[in-house]
Amino acid sequence: MAEMLPLRFRILHYISTVNKACADEIMKALEPEYGTEKQFKKEVFMDHLLDMKANFILDDNDVVLNGKGELIIYYRITDVGRTLLQKYLPKHWKQK
Amino acid sequence: MSISGNQAAIMMREKLNAQFARKGIFTGIFSGATWGLNSVLLGLALALVPALGEEAAIYAIPLAAACMNDFIAGLWLLLYNGGAGRFREIVRSLKTFPGLMVVVAALLGGPIANGGYLLGISMAGPAYALTITALYPIVGAILSRIFLKQRIVPRVWVGMVLSVIGAIIISYVPPEGGDSSKFYLGILFAALAALGWGAEAVLAVFGMSMIDPKIAINIRELTSGTFLAIFILPFIGGWEVISKVVTLPEALGAFAIAALAAAVSYLAWYKANTTIGVAKGMALNGTYVMWGVIFSAILMKSPLTQNLVIGSGLVLIGATLVAINPKEFFKKSGEA
Repeated sequence: MAEMLPLRFRILHYISTVNKACADEIMKALEPEYGTEKQFKKEVFMDHLLDMKANFILDDNDVVLNGKGELIIYYRITDVGRTLLQKYLPKHWKQK
Repeated sequence: MSISGNQAAIMMREKLNAQFARKGIFTGIFSGATWGLNSVLLGLALALVPALGEEAAIYAIPLAAACMNDFIAGLWLLLYNGGAGRFREIVRSLKTFPGLMVVVAALLGGPIANGGYLLGISMAGPAYALTITALYPIVGAILSRIFLKQRIVPRVWVGMVLSVIGAIIISYVPPEGGDSSKFYLGILFAALAALGWGAEAVLAVFGMSMIDPKIAINIRELTSGTFLAIFILPFIGGWEVISKVVTLPEALGAFAIAALAAAVSYLAWYKANTTIGVAKGMALNGTYVMWGVIFSAILMKSPLTQNLVIGSGLVLIGATLVAINPKEFFKKSGEA
């Protein structure tokens, strides 16, 4: 397996590979890589997502309420986010 | 009137984002308060360092103190991140380009800005040097506007300018006549300090788009402390100061406690800069001068002069303007 990315970086990268994703979906996808780590918590993922949204590299335009009336936010990568990935994603990650 | 599910979801999202931003504002104010506490505690720790001559007092002691403050804060943060299971994140981050940007930010904000600050004060005198270095939030805001394309509303600009004027009034010292041959060089060094701190924030925020602020600040503190220890202290007799301090448990303990305040403060500052933007983050961090006055009055019974009261008042008004949009504030309390 390629060298692991810092979690925030990996979340951004994952979102770039799908159309949109909510925190639970992202966590499910990244569980094989980060699942055993103490930082693998929903609140940590939400904090990363909200920060990246505040910095305009993700957008949160797509929202729904689930059956329990809880808010689900689907995040998408913005053009700014894509440019960052193109510039700074390590080479061996780009080939994947 | 019933709201459709989608509208309810949008309202909940707006509430979540607003709560997140509000938390960022408090984190920024908290970073200012703990930085003020760090300045006061560092002053107490420095008083425990034995006299080493006039020359040492200008460069060796302040830079050795800066080195210990950053390095020990880096160790505290290592404990914090290690405890939270983020130790491996540090290594991962350092292997990426954004992680290396944070290292450059550390060098700009640590050795370069701190060095410029001290050299500025000693060459141009505190009256001019402190006035120029107090401009750092404005420098940071301008750089963030240019490089990060962050929008800054007029209200935040006005608040920031008021805060800076307040900070200048607080730190104002009447100019002394004397050697002017190094004056302009001193002014240049003071400007370098303001530029260094501003550039640090912008570069770090850029790096933190992709790496965790808690990790970024740990890298920053360890880089700055290590660089000062290896490349600066040996040439100015700084290690002599540190070797004295480590033999005095009381002094070492005082530096460790001050560094804990620094670690907490920097952690909050980096987080706030990412969450609410560089301009607001820096302006709220800049309230440390006011907090320094308050803590000095409480802990050291320092007298409150007219300048301190007026300056602190301006900082408070300025920071409030930065933090709160009066329109939203009143609208909200009206609704509630």
